[in-house]
Amino acid sequence: MTDEFDDFLAQALAPPERDADRAFVARVQSQIRLDEHLRAERRRMLSMLAIQVLGIAAIAAAVFWLLRSPEIAEFAADSPAILLTMLLAAFSFAVLLFSTGPSPGRSRASFSIA
Amino acid sequence: MAAQNDEDLALSRRAAAGDSAAFAALVKRYERPLRAFLVRMGAVEIADDIAQDAFLKAWRAAGQYDGSARYSTWLTSIAWRCRLDELRRRPQPAPQADLRENPNAAEVSDMLARLSENERASLVLCDGHGWTHQEAAELLGLPLGTLKSTVARAKAKCREMWSGTGDD
Repeated sequence: MTDEFDDFLAQALAPPERDADRAFVARVQSQIRLDEHLRAERRRMLSMLAIQVLGIAAIAAAVFWLLRSPEIAEFAADSPAILLTMLLAAFSFAVLLFSTGPSPGRSRASFSIA
Repeated sequence: MAAQNDEDLALSRRAAAGDSAAFAALVKRYERPLRAFLVRMGAVEIADDIAQDAFLKAWRAAGQYDGSARYSTWLTSIAWRCRLDELRRRPQPAPQADLRENPNAAEVSDMLARLSENERASLVLCDGHGWTHQEAAELLGLPLGTLKSTVARAKAKCREMWSGTGDD
């Protein structure tokens, strides 16, 4: 009885004899492609963010440096509204410049899951 | 066996270098035993989700496989951790029979459902998948002696149920 039971158990618990499940393999490959795409996109976004942070820091440093000069300080004291308008215009220009960088939608559009 | 290990190591190294065709060969080779094991441990739908997750993690970590263990052992250990994570998120369904693949499945699934998690896993791996006790002990994080007694206890329980002398 022991032998019969052992045979039964080993046979019942063994992985089934069949060919590879092509649909499953395709699903895994598709998931891997999607994962690779998302990782590449994440890397690209991070590098863009780093560039933008550096750009903003450079602009802020330049503005700070300009405001320290006596002529600008005098001008600011005389007409703060004009200076504020100029700063806002410069900031708007910077935002416009960064927002028209390489679009993430372009690479997304070229990606498709097979 | 060593030749198979070498071949798997070569495929895994190619996968680590970004060769998805090499990894597809590994998926083709090991999806059957991995999914069979996971089906024995839980519901069919969850088993496939966990298997996919495990293969994705194996792809990401392909460079970490060093060939010191069988690829199937390494892969199953990843799947086992994925399964534990999944069980923390979702309540555990009872093991189900997959009658398409094995006519004895219903009877065996009924037996397995009455075993503890470790008893079930160790019995399936050692008696069904041909794992050594050492490999199963490492996967389950049990001392070798404990694993051996767990397998013996699981088998004794199944035998008792099979011979019809169980409680019910």
